[in-house]
This record gives sequence, structure tokens and C-alpha cells, in this order.
Amino acid sequence: MGNLIRDIIEESGKKYSNTVAVKWLEKKEIKERNYKEIMEHMVLVRKGLLAEGFAGKHIALIGTSSVEWIESYLGIITGSTVAVPLDISLPPEDLIDLINRSDSEALFLSPKAAKLLDVILSKCPKLRKVFMLQEEKTENSNEKTMSLGELKASAQGAGEDAGRPNPDDVATIIFTSGTTGKSKGVMLTQDNLATNVESVDFTTEPGTILLSVLPIHHAYCLVMDWLKGFSLGTTVCINDSLLHMVKNMGVFKPKVMLMVPLMIETIYKRLSAADPSIPKKVLGDNVFGGNLEIIFTGGAHLDPFYIDKFAEFGVEVLEGYGMSECSPVISSNTVTDHKAGSVGRPLCNAEISFDNGEILVRGSSVMKGYYQMEKETEETLKDGWLHTGDKGYLDEDGFLFINGRVKNLIILSNGENISPEEIENKLALNPLIGEVVVTGENNGLTARVYPDQDVVAAKGLKEEEIQAGIQAFLDEYNKSQPTYRQITALVIRKNPFIKSATKKIKRQEVLIDEPV
Amino acid sequence: MTKEMQFKTIVAQYCKVKPEDMTNEMRFREDLGFSSLDFMSFLGELEDTFDVELEEENVLKILTIGEALDLVNELA
Repeated sequence: MGNLIRDIIEESGKKYSNTVAVKWLEKKEIKERNYKEIMEHMVLVRKGLLAEGFAGKHIALIGTSSVEWIESYLGIITGSTVAVPLDISLPPEDLIDLINRSDSEALFLSPKAAKLLDVILSKCPKLRKVFMLQEEKTENSNEKTMSLGELKASAQGAGEDAGRPNPDDVATIIFTSGTTGKSKGVMLTQDNLATNVESVDFTTEPGTILLSVLPIHHAYCLVMDWLKGFSLGTTVCINDSLLHMVKNMGVFKPKVMLMVPLMIETIYKRLSAADPSIPKKVLGDNVFGGNLEIIFTGGAHLDPFYIDKFAEFGVEVLEGYGMSECSPVISSNTVTDHKAGSVGRPLCNAEISFDNGEILVRGSSVMKGYYQMEKETEETLKDGWLHTGDKGYLDEDGFLFINGRVKNLIILSNGENISPEEIENKLALNPLIGEVVVTGENNGLTARVYPDQDVVAAKGLKEEEIQAGIQAFLDEYNKSQPTYRQITALVIRKNPFIKSATKKIKRQEVLIDEPV
Repeated sequence: MTKEMQFKTIVAQYCKVKPEDMTNEMRFREDLGFSSLDFMSFLGELEDTFDVELEEENVLKILTIGEALDLVNELA
């Protein structure tokens, strides 16, 4: 028995054919598709891609969670093609760079990002086709653009289907922040993904309602909400916007949700701001929808305080640990086996070891490597052991605890990994900014700036003018960035940063604001 | 309760500033300490409370209390 996502999905298609697989909102109306229908759509996408000549090629996807996105993704990875999910909120130049660096030859594009179509086509020379993620025909169909609906229609009645991939074949490339400021494409094989789905110790009855609120291009959401959810025959409901997360908990009434700690923190603010005379049961039902029992969380550290607080409302918060490079779950607390403050026991397919306190992982879900980045791959994968960049320990009961980081990467509580250098390089382009260091504080990014003294002197700028000038620049920069890469606080320093003998800023000393 | 007070009471759920101490110039992220998700959740509450529909693309440009209040006054 090979470990293929195709096997898992096909089995669910047979076992749960009439169970609702996906629910979503369309103009406030709930729409749904069952497992049999999802399978049919997936096969049509797969056959369509084969007929269009994309066998063995890389195919990017840009969009938020939608039934069209997931059936396209499944159509790609159950054939012999490689899916490259990209973050729709990235600036166009970053998306273009990632399409080009991943050697993608086709793109599934959400209508929400239709305005990017022309620039992407003109700047991504390898791209042969763009499929708009919509059923209806595109307004200006041409030889390079067609809708998903047209792709599927063209495959109706087509006899030839794509062959089954091998367990060792790359199924997906997921981009993650690199410490050098350049994002890296994590190559995950069929076996990596399938064994992660199988090794996460969670089961539930078919038709269990799961509300998906995380970005679908993230490994955690993609593998656990969707692939794991489908493997169990759950009904995955799509949250149409983070504006409506709490409202949609009332609409869909989920039993299980995956969240990042930031979401838990925000929901807690709502709970704690409520009138204390409201009974806990009423308040909990009002906020959580009435059926929520389990929240799985990962991506960043969660204060155990919230585990106790949510338990008062009958909601169990189970923390786990993972990274894209491990497909992504490495360890998780489970319903029957958990310890607050820990990130659970390692999965049955993950072996843990330590090197000077750094957590190393080996096992069937560890990536094949970074796409076309041999040096970075060698630095991270040594003798089959993945160097996580996190520090931690296993306690006497085998639970894993995380207590620091080795690499210079900011982990925000929304689970996003931020490379400070990447942002600093962009901010340093402003002439008023002499030196800059970006730090992660209070759930956001702080820019600590030492102004360029020559510019300040030449223009005769006063303190408040410097502050206003740099803040105006940051406001402009923020407009072009996804919310998680925006600068939310500015500190102007009066003295330069403390530097090493090689004139590099000492990052561990940047919070010392006024060196003599 | 006036519309403005209702609005500021919702803001106060996410920060430590009292409604009466809020000014139109205060910035959600920098001055009130909203996280990106607090801000989204807050906007969702505005939709429910004032029965308005907000376009995600437009509202993400809002920086201050005054800007958000103007938008609510315009739509509600």
C-alpha cells in the first residue's frame, strides 16, 4: 500500500460519497458539495490538466479558501503534477518572483486577484495558461486564459486520466520565510503529506463540522483542515473572511476548529469584555456557535492561561507544533493525552533528537529539500535530521516543550514566520533611515530606526519632523504589504545600534535603546 | 446610547482605553494596541451592530478611530 494523497481521497470518496464534504457561503446562502461530487470535480481537473499538456509540471494557485481552490489543488496533486500554493495577500512583485522561482507553467487564479492577470502574464514567461477559479466563462478568454469551469467542461468525456504518482514524487511546494530574507520552497512528497495525515492522532465521526479559518496556502490549514478533514469524512466549512469568523461560528456551528494563538487571544478579548451577569453557557454558545468542543492550535506559542479560560466554556484547546518542512505537524496534544504548556508528544512517524538544545526531527514527513536551494537544504537537513531552528526538550513523560529559537526569525502569534532582514532591506531604502532593526513585539512588528544624521542635518529636521517623515513612509510601505508584514510601532533612536567587531548590529542588544 | 458611544464601546473591548478617553486621531494598531485580527474581529462586530457591509479591501486601509467612525456614519 503506497502512501498517496490520491489513495486517501479516493477512499473517502467511496466511503463517504453522500456525506457533505464542503460548505460555503454565497451571498449569505449556504452551498454544499458532497464527497462524490468533490471526487468528480477533482478528476475533471486532473484530466483537463493532462489534456492541456501539464503532466509532470508545476502549477501555482493564488486564492483564498474556496471549493474551486481545493478541487483544483486535489486535481493537481492526485495526478503527476506539483501544486504551488501562494499567499494571495503578497505584493504582485513577490507573487511574480515565486511563480518564476517555482518554475510554474500554469496558474489557478482567484477572481479576487483578477487585476493581477495582465502583469503576471507579462512577467512570468514560463506561464502557459491561467485558469480563473470560477465556474462561469472568463470575460476575456484568450489562448492563455480560461476558467476552471471551461477546463472541467473540456475534460468531460475525456478517456485518458493522469497516472498515479509515486510516493516519493514531490506533490507540493510550499514557500516559507528564509532567514536570509529570501523565501524558500519546501518540497513535500506524496508520502510526506499522506503519512502526516495518517499519523496525527485524531478521529471523529463522518459529517463532523469543521470550520476552516486559516489561510489555505499554509501547510497547517491545507494538510490538517482539508486533507486530514477529508480523510475522516468531515464537513469542512469555509470562513469567507476573518471579519466574519465569530459570526460564521454561529452560522456553521463547528465541533472542531484549527486556529493560531492570535485567534484564541482575540476571541478571549470578546469573552472577557462581555457583561459578567451573562451566564457562561449563554456567552459561550453566543461566541463559539454552540457546538464547539475542540480547538487545535499551532504555529506560535500559546499562553496556557487560555487553555484554562476556554475550558470554562467547555472548549478544549490542544496545542501542537510543526513547520512546513515537516508537512507540517511534528507533535500534538490529543484529546486523550495532553499536558498544558507542552506541544504534545511527537507523532508516531517523527523521531526527535537534540543538538545543543535545538530540536531535530527525522521521519517520513520530513521534506525532500528546498526547491533549487541546495546550500539551504544541506544546512537544514543533515544525515536525515531536520534542524528546526527551535530550542526545546522532552520531559520525563515524553511531552515536547519549546523554549526558544536558534535562527533569527520572528514568529508572530498568527503563526506567520517573518524574516526581519527582508523587511529591513526594504525600509533601508528610505534616505532618512540610517540603521533599522525590525523586532516582534506585542503581536506586531516594531521598526527601531536610527535616522541618517547627514540627511537630518542637511534638511535641518526637528525630532517630530523625523518621526512624522518616517511614519509617513511606514504608512506607505504598510499599504503594499499583507497585514502580518506591516510595521505597527516605530521607535526612533538617538544613538546608533551597538555593533560587533565586524560592524554588524548586535540583534540581541537592540532593545538597549540608548547606548552611550 | 449614541452611535458614536456604541462604536467606542466596541473598540474598548479590544484595548485598555476607556470610550470617554478616545480621540478621533488615535490609531488602532499603534495607539490602541489592536492586533491585525482584533481589527478584523472589530470590523465584523461593526457590521453586525450597525447592519452594514464592509468591503475588506477598503476597510484595511483604515488607520484611525475617526476614519472608521466616518465610514460607519456614511454607511449606516
